[in-house]
Amino acid sequence: MTMENQEPPAVLIDQASKWYGQVIGINDLSLAIDGGVTGVLGPNGAGKSTLFKLMMGRIRPSQGSVRLFGVDPWANTSPYRRVGYVSESEKLYEWMTALDFVSTLARLHGMTREEATERSAHVLEFVGLSDVMHKELGKFSKGMRQRVKIAHALVHDPDLIILDEPLHGCDPLARTSIMSVIREMGEQGKTILVSSHILEEIERITEQIVILHNGRLLAIGNLHAIRGLLDKHPHRILIRCEDPRSLANLFVSQDPVFGVRFPKEGQLEIQTNDLSAAHSLLPSIVVNSKQKITSIENPDDNLDSLLSYLIKEGN
Amino acid sequence: MDSKGRSLSETVWTRMDRKAGAIIELTMRQLRHRVSTWVVLGVGALLMALLLTFYVDSVRESFEPIDNDGDSVDNDGDGYPMGQERKYGTPDWDSDSYPGASVFIPESDIDWNDADRTVYGNKSWEGSAFFEASWVDDQYSGEWWDSHVDWNLNQEGIPELTDCSDWDLEDILDSIWSEACDMGDDDGDGMNTYYVAGKWRGTGLATVPENYYLLWGYWTEEVYIEPDPPEMYINEDGIDCFNGLILRGQDWEDSRVDCPSEDRLSGSHGFDDDGDCLALDDGNGNDENRNGIACDVQWIASNGVVTWIEADELVDEDPDEQEYIGELDHRTFVIAVGKMAFVILLGLFIPLFLSLGLVRDETENGTLHLLLSKPIHRAEFIVYRLSGYLAIAGSYVIALSLIVGLISSILGPGDQLIRLSDIPVWIGIGAATTLVLAAYGSMFNAMGLISPKYGVYLCIVFGIWEFMMGSFSIVNPNWTVASVSISHWALQMIDAVVMLAWPDTIQWAEMDNAFGMGSGLSVFWQPPVHTLGTASAGIALLNSILVLLMVTAAWVFIAKSVFSRREIM
Repeated sequence: MTMENQEPPAVLIDQASKWYGQVIGINDLSLAIDGGVTGVLGPNGAGKSTLFKLMMGRIRPSQGSVRLFGVDPWANTSPYRRVGYVSESEKLYEWMTALDFVSTLARLHGMTREEATERSAHVLEFVGLSDVMHKELGKFSKGMRQRVKIAHALVHDPDLIILDEPLHGCDPLARTSIMSVIREMGEQGKTILVSSHILEEIERITEQIVILHNGRLLAIGNLHAIRGLLDKHPHRILIRCEDPRSLANLFVSQDPVFGVRFPKEGQLEIQTNDLSAAHSLLPSIVVNSKQKITSIENPDDNLDSLLSYLIKEGN
Repeated sequence: MDSKGRSLSETVWTRMDRKAGAIIELTMRQLRHRVSTWVVLGVGALLMALLLTFYVDSVRESFEPIDNDGDSVDNDGDGYPMGQERKYGTPDWDSDSYPGASVFIPESDIDWNDADRTVYGNKSWEGSAFFEASWVDDQYSGEWWDSHVDWNLNQEGIPELTDCSDWDLEDILDSIWSEACDMGDDDGDGMNTYYVAGKWRGTGLATVPENYYLLWGYWTEEVYIEPDPPEMYINEDGIDCFNGLILRGQDWEDSRVDCPSEDRLSGSHGFDDDGDCLALDDGNGNDENRNGIACDVQWIASNGVVTWIEADELVDEDPDEQEYIGELDHRTFVIAVGKMAFVILLGLFIPLFLSLGLVRDETENGTLHLLLSKPIHRAEFIVYRLSGYLAIAGSYVIALSLIVGLISSILGPGDQLIRLSDIPVWIGIGAATTLVLAAYGSMFNAMGLISPKYGVYLCIVFGIWEFMMGSFSIVNPNWTVASVSISHWALQMIDAVVMLAWPDTIQWAEMDNAFGMGSGLSVFWQPPVHTLGTASAGIALLNSILVLLMVTAAWVFIAKSVFSRREIM
């Protein structure tokens, strides 16, 4: 560990800004990330992709500095030996097979053809594509393509992995599989950055998050800690059941609940000031009601409400 | 330490090599997967196949003998070719005048102011006279074409003509032309006198009026002369070279040698085999080349190669094409195909289709992220991409040039199975085209990067400029402006390679010009220009290669500078 501490962090961003003409991509952002899985959260246009492009040397910061392992990625390509990048771009070489694609790109790390093929087969197996690795990419589904992109980013066993919206457009099965791949990589001790605009996705992968909004760093830290702040504020819980009215009766007498609504047939909305307290009440009330509950949702437990809360707090 | 250092440097190099290999391979595979690649390469192959069929066609037809001096033609339609009429001194514009035709020989005349104005005899007459005739020829036509007098003889052979015995003299002189009138037997000797004006034959006493003239003479006998076949006047004056004097029997004779293979010495050669130069008196001693020798050909050589040939008019002017045109046409074909089809057409169109989007298309397709997230410098990336393009385009043109070269060298003139001396020329053509592909490729790629949207139009403008300058360079390589083009230097490369592989091409071009063989060799080939004053083809070749490589490097550098600064969204 002491050895590693002497090394510069995987990602070090110091007061970096990036403007596209009048439009601000990243605004005075400072960030240091080393080790573990970090979720980069933010709505579309928050600056997630700009941040990643800065890290990957695609664009040059208008101000400030970006360092990967202590090296400026705009001026020098050497950090990429230790970085795997999954871009948001969907485009692949459609005429190549998955194995061909990953091994061709692996050779760009200086591997021999044999090494590259061997490593590629290995990572394709890791992302769960070993049975289709001889199929052309043009015939792959969205989820499979995302996994091929992850495989190519992993093929050289990088220390830092950057994934730009890896779950975007994937079906639930692919999501689960990709999430488990990311978690597994995190367990292997790599530094991983995953961007998403969906809180629930990140929540299933990691607790360590960075929230971006309008190019600024809005929050950084543990997701639960951040969300804990949110819990003390009015929240809704949406329950789908057979008889919402009788269930509502059971709730209104409880302390954390200050109101109920019936937005639609077979739906009950509970309004609370303390989300975790309300959630701890839920099981006993549901058991007492002897009703069949189809689903329980937290409509306010999403990025938008988190953001609007954080923005309000900031102001 | 030492061994560690070495292994480290090996690692750096082998890694670079592997990366290069991967991108080159990827580029080649991408190009192979594009339809436009196959279309442009296929069209190139078709073009070559078409040119080869033309070549095969002309080879199989053998060479039609050409009447270079045009003397096998019978212009006046008298059945004798011009060459034969020249020999006999008859004009080739007069059908009545041909070899063996009867000719009027004038004997004498009475002019308008001669004092003695009478003459007697049996003659062919022309002019005006009072003719006291003892005999006239009613059938006289005298091979002239007009003004013959019609005597209108009766049964007894007496002319029956207008009686003009009581006319005034002035009326007679004024009104009679191309005819005669009867003036009666004015002196009572039993012979009538006629006034005759025109052409006639007869025996009698002619008295010419004052201020009139009369010419007389006789017509030679017509002799039949066999007309020569026109073919006799085709290829009748071959190129003759001599190798100094040798003793033959008692006489010193010029020793004739084949032109030009053995004898390439400067000096007076040529022989007027058909005698038309000797027969012609041009008033300047038949010495147009002003070397003091009439009817010869002056050959001038330098460094063992004939560089200048100037013939006197009508000497060696109708050589046997079979002997020369084959070689001339073959070389013209090779050089013209090398320059026009390979360097200018393939050289321009292949990069236009294959290199313009080498880097640009990756950006547009969004696949550039995949490649640039690997530890590769952008400059490296450009070089490897161009190498991949060149691996396909270069091997294509080299293979194509060798195939076309092999076929034409097997079919070409000469006794050997394959014209081995052709092979270096075709290798040179392949190499020149490859260098052009590299230069245009790096340029067009840079254009695509400088302006992804309008780069193609920039390339087309450049392409037109290059096409024009290339065409000018073929015709006049000395034109300085043309050297501001890439094609110029590639064409110069071919000129230099031709001079190295076929040193006597300059002699063939001179022979083509001097003896009017019309192969067009000197239109397509001239000695290389950029020899830095040494006249050495080797230096011109190196010079051209260097320029093409420098242009390529410069455009790679420009592309790199643009690409390194570009932010990729």
